[in-house]
Amino acid sequence: MFVSSLFGLLIPWMTREAIDGIAAPDGRERLVRAVSWMLLFAALHGTFRYFSRRGLLVAARRVELALRRDVFRHVIRLPLSFFGATPTGDVMSRMTNDISAVWLFLGPGMLMLAGTVISYVLALGFMFRISPLLTAVSLVLAPVIILVSREYGRKFHKIYRKVQETLAGMNATLQENISGIRLVKAYGLEEHEEGRFARDCEEYLRRNVAVSRTSAVFHGAIGFLAGAGIALVLLIGGWLVIRGRLTLGGFVAFNAYLAMLSFPTMALGWVINLVQRGGSAMGRINEFLRLPVEDLAKEDALAEGAYAPDATPVLEFRNLSYAYPGEGRGGVLRDVSFSVRPGEVVGLVGPTGSGKSTLLSLILRLYPIPPGAVFFEGRDVNDIPVGRLRRSVALVAQDPFLFSDTVLSNLCFGLAEPDADAARRAAGQARLLAEIEEMPEGFGTVIGERGISLSGGQKQRATIARALCTGARVLLLDDALSSVDAETEQEIFREILSLRGARTILFSTHRMSSLSRCDRILVLSGGRIAEEGTHDELLSLRGAYFDLYSRQMLSRELEASS
Amino acid sequence: MIGGRERYFLEDRVDAQAVDLRLLRRLLSYLRPHKALIALSLLGLALGTACQLAGPYLIKVLIDRHITAGRFEGMTGWVALYLASLAGAMGFLYLQMLSVSVLGQRIIFAIRKEMFARLERLPVSFFDRTPTGRLMTRLTSDVEALQELLSSGLVSTVGDVTVLLGIAVILLWMNPVLALVTFIVLPVLVLFVEVLKKFIREANREIRRKLARMNAFLQERVSGAAVVKAFVQEEKSVRQLDALNEDYASENIRLTNYYSFYFPGVELFSSVAVALLLWRGGGQVISGAITFGTLVAFLEYAQKFFNPIKDMSDKYNILQSALASCERIFHILDAEPAPEYAPALPAASSAAPAAAKDFGIAAARAGEESADGADGTSPVPAIEFRDVWFSYGDSGAGTSPDRGPVLRGVSFAIREGEMGAIVGATGAGKTTILSLLCRLYEIERGRILLFGRDIRDLSREELRGKLSLVLQDPFLFSGSVRENVEAGGPAVEAAVAAAGVAEFAGGWEEGLSTAVGERGGRLSVGQRQLVAFARALARNPDVLLLDEATSSVDPVTEDEIRKALANILAGRTSLVVAHRLSTILSADRIIVLHKGKVRETGTHRELMEAGGIYRRLYMLQFDVL
Repeated sequence: MFVSSLFGLLIPWMTREAIDGIAAPDGRERLVRAVSWMLLFAALHGTFRYFSRRGLLVAARRVELALRRDVFRHVIRLPLSFFGATPTGDVMSRMTNDISAVWLFLGPGMLMLAGTVISYVLALGFMFRISPLLTAVSLVLAPVIILVSREYGRKFHKIYRKVQETLAGMNATLQENISGIRLVKAYGLEEHEEGRFARDCEEYLRRNVAVSRTSAVFHGAIGFLAGAGIALVLLIGGWLVIRGRLTLGGFVAFNAYLAMLSFPTMALGWVINLVQRGGSAMGRINEFLRLPVEDLAKEDALAEGAYAPDATPVLEFRNLSYAYPGEGRGGVLRDVSFSVRPGEVVGLVGPTGSGKSTLLSLILRLYPIPPGAVFFEGRDVNDIPVGRLRRSVALVAQDPFLFSDTVLSNLCFGLAEPDADAARRAAGQARLLAEIEEMPEGFGTVIGERGISLSGGQKQRATIARALCTGARVLLLDDALSSVDAETEQEIFREILSLRGARTILFSTHRMSSLSRCDRILVLSGGRIAEEGTHDELLSLRGAYFDLYSRQMLSRELEASS
Repeated sequence: MIGGRERYFLEDRVDAQAVDLRLLRRLLSYLRPHKALIALSLLGLALGTACQLAGPYLIKVLIDRHITAGRFEGMTGWVALYLASLAGAMGFLYLQMLSVSVLGQRIIFAIRKEMFARLERLPVSFFDRTPTGRLMTRLTSDVEALQELLSSGLVSTVGDVTVLLGIAVILLWMNPVLALVTFIVLPVLVLFVEVLKKFIREANREIRRKLARMNAFLQERVSGAAVVKAFVQEEKSVRQLDALNEDYASENIRLTNYYSFYFPGVELFSSVAVALLLWRGGGQVISGAITFGTLVAFLEYAQKFFNPIKDMSDKYNILQSALASCERIFHILDAEPAPEYAPALPAASSAAPAAAKDFGIAAARAGEESADGADGTSPVPAIEFRDVWFSYGDSGAGTSPDRGPVLRGVSFAIREGEMGAIVGATGAGKTTILSLLCRLYEIERGRILLFGRDIRDLSREELRGKLSLVLQDPFLFSGSVRENVEAGGPAVEAAVAAAGVAEFAGGWEEGLSTAVGERGGRLSVGQRQLVAFARALARNPDVLLLDEATSSVDPVTEDEIRKALANILAGRTSLVVAHRLSTILSADRIIVLHKGKVRETGTHRELMEAGGIYRRLYMLQFDVL
């Protein structure tokens, strides 16, 4: 870069040689010589510039690539509570906009910055050689220009941030309207939403015009200042030439140098802005990178031998109390104790908010839990590497989430490599096989955003198949069949029950028909286990379970008779 | 990867030149309402450029009359004139910059509004087949690229072109021979730029595409983080990103390569031009054909001439990516809006001419009256489906499977004040019936009547003013609970009380003003459902549509809601899709849907006696096996 700048700056020097040569006696020869040198320097300047520019920008792209990779690698390992507390848009903006800002700073920003510094130093050197006095004169206005640039940079930054905020608001409205389009349409909210969006747009317009005004004023002022500098140099330089203290060639070359410097000076404000934005973007990215990740590969605290997959009980809860961070009011779970034997099928039932989902997700350590409360195969889950724990226990969550990928990739999501046989088997168990085979490309059909959309029931069955595909010894189903019709649920449930013995199953549901076939039922209420036993035992208790049951029965009888 | 996606990409590869012209013409049509601003900017541009170009000529005069002549007297005056021309240039160019920029902002404002309005009116099938991530990229990055073109790109491009033309004219006037020497490199330069810009354009398109793909991936992994974690797929996700990331970076590096070649290349050409000028012009000075001042002025002009050409690639880049963006934006603007927003088309089954829309309604009304016969004693059904056929296949863009019709000749009627329940196995088409009733999709055959009028004859305000829908997935907008309920209608307090929202929200510090978070994420699934419920009630709809709204609420809550509903449902027609029979049992009419056909209709008792599909469903749910 230094070399390329040097050659670049030698070009006006040759102009000087040429012009001065014209006046000399051996004019033509000197002219030709200077012009030849000039061409050579131009070629060298171009070559070096190509390499320096390419080198720097490619390096910056590589940094961007590595940064994006690192940020994603880090973010995807952050505990689930992070994703609950941070809006997706925020995470996305850091992984996209902020990383771009860092690249802009590292690539074009650094290129400009280094280029500016080098050209300044070198050009000033050449100018000084031509005429120290003229150099001093041309620098008189420099501090003013820099001050104006800085002031502008500051002001621009402030307005620009407001512009970005408005833009973010607009984008959020957009995103919401796309995701919630059915609702917008069903409720005829189009005009309401348009009004909201138009207000944002107007605000955005207003602020952008303010930005334009500021930058137009700035460019005008800077241009005028630079022009005044040039006029000053013209006046004094002309006088120097007349006095014979400066050659005409020197005078012309000096003007050329001055013109060369005017662009970097003007761009300084832009570069400063890039640096500032890059810095704050990096700060925001670092906020994420500083958060502690889940330790997936933590070494076993105990030796492999002490690990007992056949241990009884397979799951044990000892006085587990749990509250989500920042949520007071007694917590979600209070003093929950129970254990599950290997191969047992346990049903969880209880009203909304009684803590069923929380209980199931705590087994996977999706949220941090206190030590000594949850045990898997005889060991505190906190002592088991998260990766191994989660591979041993498969959770089917309430909200069926599938990726925009092929059916096969989705079903085999938990496996290292897609396994067509396993997927087929699992799809059969989840009563999804026939429907998959009806799809245009069978297991290769892309579903989700990029492909076809599945019904709620199909999604739920796909998530069950996904869980069955893994070799997990424990299966947790969190109200995972709520959108599946009763008949299909019974079929799936029969399949799952046929795994009894090989797999331990813990599931929550509201359906009595499914609950009645469990080995044991736990009734949760207000974060506590209210009752425990088989269907018949619980019915004979005439407690909360009986209440739930008879409520269903009662409504049937009442309404059937009407 | 798959057919549909490739097709999408292929759509993007349209003949570049033809597209550019067409796009530009369309873009220019947006200028029409802003004539005053355009005049102002053109005036500023003309005067500013004139002032700007006077500079080097003044220097020539300065050199010839004073410096080479050795006369200092009077020189200050020329320098002052030079300064004045600069001040003029700055002033006028400020005017031009500002007016063009405001112009650009106004245009983008119009486009943004138009785009959003169109978006809101696109059929739901469009959203079904267009990934949210890609749509967002279009609506954000693409609009921003266009904005950059219109606000800053346009200012400098117009300015540059004027400067280029002005300089060419001045140089030819000062010395045609020397001017032609200066321009000798131009053809080669233009060729160089032309060739490279083709590559640059291609690379830019590719970059956009790859970025969209990568961002869609990131977005999905972030929103599906729970699944990634539960299945310990963090490593695999990182590997998958690596591939996309690498792809994107290598494309960017390709572009960097072109640019690294481009800038020095153009500079080299300008140096060659200056060298030629010096060589030829210098010779002429020696032979006394031209003055020193002319040579210097030529050098200055040449510099000013090549500078804009040098940035031309940047401008061109902005222009290119903006045009590519523009193309995609216009794609959205040109997307067919959902028919309810367009003039009514003749219904496939009815022979009524398209023009007779009003007549159609009048005819329907007349039909009503004549059908009523004895003055409303046998009233028109509130909801009626007549031989309705529908499939999703034709609305998808090749990505939807040809699953065949979802509904095959569905007919049923719900009388005013009745509660209708649709039951059936998953995939029977229950949800589809509700979507069709809201006209989220268009039916293929048959008619859907609401209070005796074909819904295709109703304006969307009319239609949606009568209906209230609770979706299976209770989507909430970010904002407070109150705002979400208000989106449904004005009767917030009553709705909140009736749906049981007041009960749990009352315990919160901020009550109904509590923010629900992104997609209602801060509420439990049950709570979200209750809010969605309140939203549906808030407009006091004539017809309430529930899509398995109570499916994930526990029996106790369900019971509460049902009790509340009983009050509100009195005198209101409703159609409920649910597989919870406890809800259905209170229905006046049960429609049993099986594989897209209505198999049974009747009351619970009638259906039980009939001993068909319904009875089997019922037994499964309630008889302990």
